[in-house]
Amino acid sequence: MKLEAGWVPVALSSSIEAATSAGAVVEGSEIVVWRDNSGVVHVWEDRCPHRGMRMSFGFVRGDHIACLYHGWQYDAGGQCRYIPAHPTLDVPSTIKVPTYVSQEKYGIVWATASPDAAMPDIGPAVGSTPVRSLYVDCSATDALSALDAEGLEHISTDTGLLACDGDKLFIAVQAITTTKAAVHAVLLGPPSADNAKRQAHHARRLEKMRYALEQAAEFA
Amino acid sequence: MPNITLYGYELDENSYRARLLLSMLGLEWQTVAVDMFPGQEHRKPAMLALNPLGTLPVLQRDDGTVYGTAAVLLSLARSHDQEQRWLPADATAFAEVVTWLGFCETALGPAVEARLQALFDTPGDEAALRTAARKAFRIMDDHMTLRHFEGVEWFAGDGPTLADLALFPSFALSRDFGIDHGEYPALRRWIRHFRSLPGFLTMPGIPDYH
Repeated sequence: MKLEAGWVPVALSSSIEAATSAGAVVEGSEIVVWRDNSGVVHVWEDRCPHRGMRMSFGFVRGDHIACLYHGWQYDAGGQCRYIPAHPTLDVPSTIKVPTYVSQEKYGIVWATASPDAAMPDIGPAVGSTPVRSLYVDCSATDALSALDAEGLEHISTDTGLLACDGDKLFIAVQAITTTKAAVHAVLLGPPSADNAKRQAHHARRLEKMRYALEQAAEFA
Repeated sequence: MPNITLYGYELDENSYRARLLLSMLGLEWQTVAVDMFPGQEHRKPAMLALNPLGTLPVLQRDDGTVYGTAAVLLSLARSHDQEQRWLPADATAFAEVVTWLGFCETALGPAVEARLQALFDTPGDEAALRTAARKAFRIMDDHMTLRHFEGVEWFAGDGPTLADLALFPSFALSRDFGIDHGEYPALRRWIRHFRSLPGFLTMPGIPDYH
């Protein structure tokens, strides 16, 4: 799904720590996912309006993100606020990075250009524990077919619940390109004493699924 | 202070590995800059007399000369790391560290070559080198995903070791040859931990955030 079509899962919440940024791609569109010092997550187009440098290479300072090239700083709304080479300049409002609307739910960061679209709903909040984001060299369609074969109970086209070895996983698939997809997986339910063991178990299972998917993609 | 001389090249990641360890061990050293590109001085008689393989870095101390990246790192740790933190004495942790050092010399070779190709147009199959580099980074990311569940943020043992130090540069520099960090969340977390260690220093391509 494209960012214009609805809510797209772009990272596990736990993978974007405070004051850090990461690049991601949704159906070919490059985005930066970053979290400010106060913990709020932001998803923007991954391009500094100045020289086109990727904002995800930059660094977070407070509630601003700065471009790695020349240090131009942008506030949480994408508006440029400070240009180090011209420290006294009142920065024109036209210098702005296009932003997406973002939200965190089920331990996943979601982004969209259509905030009125429906967010997948799995009912009352039950708590979640991160498993991992699995990056696979195959299409999102093929990743979803493999998940369907494991018994994915769909919530939407790209998301669903997977009962697995006594646990319930929530799975959300991100189409990166036509030959690459990310499978974001979290464990649903209250945390338990053996969380670490269960996280490792499901992470390993997903690695096996990745192997099978890539074997199939290679020999297709 | 021991008398230490390091022959290296500023943009060479293997020379950076040696500098990193010298710095993190709190040692003082002299640098002899070797013009690797475009001069190819590392492959000319003056340097070949020190290291017949024509590689960098080369470490020179009063008791002799050491070449080969892993050899330089192991030797520095053996001589100057009194607490045996970087090369643990514990047999299990030691085995893990040398396994990753081996990984660095073999599986990460394509990442080193891919970067030199991108920067200096050295020969090689670009697509094959990048595919192999991605494969190595994925093995590292899978490993660190599981380590994080165990509550450990380092590759081997229970603290930072030569394994982390030797692996760090290739991943930190991967954007030089077009591999972004987006698909390696566990490695992103790890490099942030590594960057915060005392004595950490950067090189061109590894930003010093200001």
